[in-house]
Amino acid sequence: MFDRRIDLAGAALFVAVMALLPLMFSNNYLIGVLTVSVIYGLWSVSWDFMSGLTGRENFGHSLFIGVGAYTAGFLNTAWGLPAWWSLPAAMIVAAVFALAVGIPTLRLKGPYFALAMLSTAVIMQRLMLIFWEQTGGEEGINGIEPLIRSQLGFYYFALAVLVAVTATLVAIARSPWGLILRAIRGDEATCQAAGLNVTFYKIASLVISAAVAGAGGAMYAHYQLQVSPQVFAVVMSITIITMVYVGGMASIYGPVGGAILLVLLTELLRSFGEWRLMIYSCTLILILFFLPEGFIAPVWRWIRARLGARDGASR
Amino acid sequence: MLEILIYGAVSSAVYALLAVGFTLIFGVARILNLAHGSFYALGAYGAYLFAVVMKLPLALAAACSIALVAVFGVFMERVLVRPMRKSQLAVLMITLAVSLVVEQALFLTFGSEYRNVPAFVDAKFSIGGVDVAGQRLLTLASGVVLIGALWLFIQRSRLGSAILAISQDPDAARYMGIPTDRIFTVVMAMSAALAATAGILAGPFLSVQPGMGLLPIVKAFAIVVVGGLGSIPGSILAALMLGYAETLVGYLFSTSWTEIVSVLATLLMLIVRPAGIFGKRAAF
Repeated sequence: MFDRRIDLAGAALFVAVMALLPLMFSNNYLIGVLTVSVIYGLWSVSWDFMSGLTGRENFGHSLFIGVGAYTAGFLNTAWGLPAWWSLPAAMIVAAVFALAVGIPTLRLKGPYFALAMLSTAVIMQRLMLIFWEQTGGEEGINGIEPLIRSQLGFYYFALAVLVAVTATLVAIARSPWGLILRAIRGDEATCQAAGLNVTFYKIASLVISAAVAGAGGAMYAHYQLQVSPQVFAVVMSITIITMVYVGGMASIYGPVGGAILLVLLTELLRSFGEWRLMIYSCTLILILFFLPEGFIAPVWRWIRARLGARDGASR
Repeated sequence: MLEILIYGAVSSAVYALLAVGFTLIFGVARILNLAHGSFYALGAYGAYLFAVVMKLPLALAAACSIALVAVFGVFMERVLVRPMRKSQLAVLMITLAVSLVVEQALFLTFGSEYRNVPAFVDAKFSIGGVDVAGQRLLTLASGVVLIGALWLFIQRSRLGSAILAISQDPDAARYMGIPTDRIFTVVMAMSAALAATAGILAGPFLSVQPGMGLLPIVKAFAIVVVGGLGSIPGSILAALMLGYAETLVGYLFSTSWTEIVSVLATLLMLIVRPAGIFGKRAAF
């Protein structure tokens, strides 16, 4: 019981800090960095919801981000639809891609899903370059309208989306549904023997994860006001996976912290310029070896245990 | 027609060199090596470094490059992969991270421009009216010879039987006194050397830039899924199929669509027959 209250208090504190930061410093650069970190947070939670819970790692999350971003770009520029159509459209398109890759691969054991996601993302990036007449090639699509004109307004919108999505996904993860997903990670064969349609649960969670990532991609496109094939890059997927690992796999809330922490750190590392990705990949290797449990979720559990113990003792 | 036949055979040879190493290390050590494409990239860049920057004779440069990549492969297997062997996903993560480190390292040292790796053969040959660069023919010939040699090595030599034994049943092999860890090292070196050779041979007529290792992984994965994970004859057959399928699509439709072939083949094969053509166990 105390745990739940401490969690809520922690979450409220986090949201308050995130909401107040731009008001306290009120500079556009900071708001920009925070907006990007919130969008990365969206991508990391969605990755963790599918891959962290079921243990089927997705090496091509950038596929969903990319199709979401390009859907937004096409709808807004080539078809001239209002910017708000992008979000539902991007979610649907990303979900369709999730079905296309998930149905053949998720019914199988083994690494097929991980690799098929990676392959599809790589090929989509290639296609964006090859069909440059439609997609703008290396330059991508420019001239996308913003969702909300005011930068601060968009930041609060993104933060609200992140909070809502994280709360929903944490709730699902703690419901019987989430229990089933965790059980699949533990022992898939036993779940199957217990009469659960394992494949359905895996594909459904991938579709949810893809829809969130696609919406994040569309938001990113409307924030940057352009999309380039870089959104499909493997580097993108790796960055997100690193954020999840830093945050702590399967905790859902951890990856949000991981994403925000890493985006802010990246800004501090800006002077390293070209070395940034090198630092990222080396961080990932070090974390895999020395902190397989991640950093943020274990720290939070420790704080919670301390607070809970004091709470219990004072009674 | 002859054009399709020759060019298809050349790309098949490159694919086969890549896929055989990829499937070999999986079949023997159960390591799904996402850094396999980096070996290919490192091979090409190694040849560039030794032959163009350090001005060594090309044959020596190629040998140095292959040896260096093999050593790198062994280092990666020993230091990074071995402690993670319990979990297949950790192995995937660590090898993917390694491939990114390699890509970034190449980018930081050589920059993002395309590099020219010198060709062994500059002459052009005319076969039945089709002009083919000598380097492509050399690639085809070396591919056939190397894979043939590998096949003989595995089937005939003592070490080859040990490799076969481990791929059939690692536990039983260990009970028979086969030093599995040492064999993994040998297989990793061979697999890395084959990929590096593919990079050196194909480098002159394909683009050599830091991100070049990514597509080969996609292709190798497609081939291995179609042929059956862990089956060498399967991957040779599937390499031929992919090589020709891509060339055909390039001729019939447009070269733009060739890149889709591998992903479509992967997904279709996983729907129709997940074990692949020669796969033994159903999707392990």
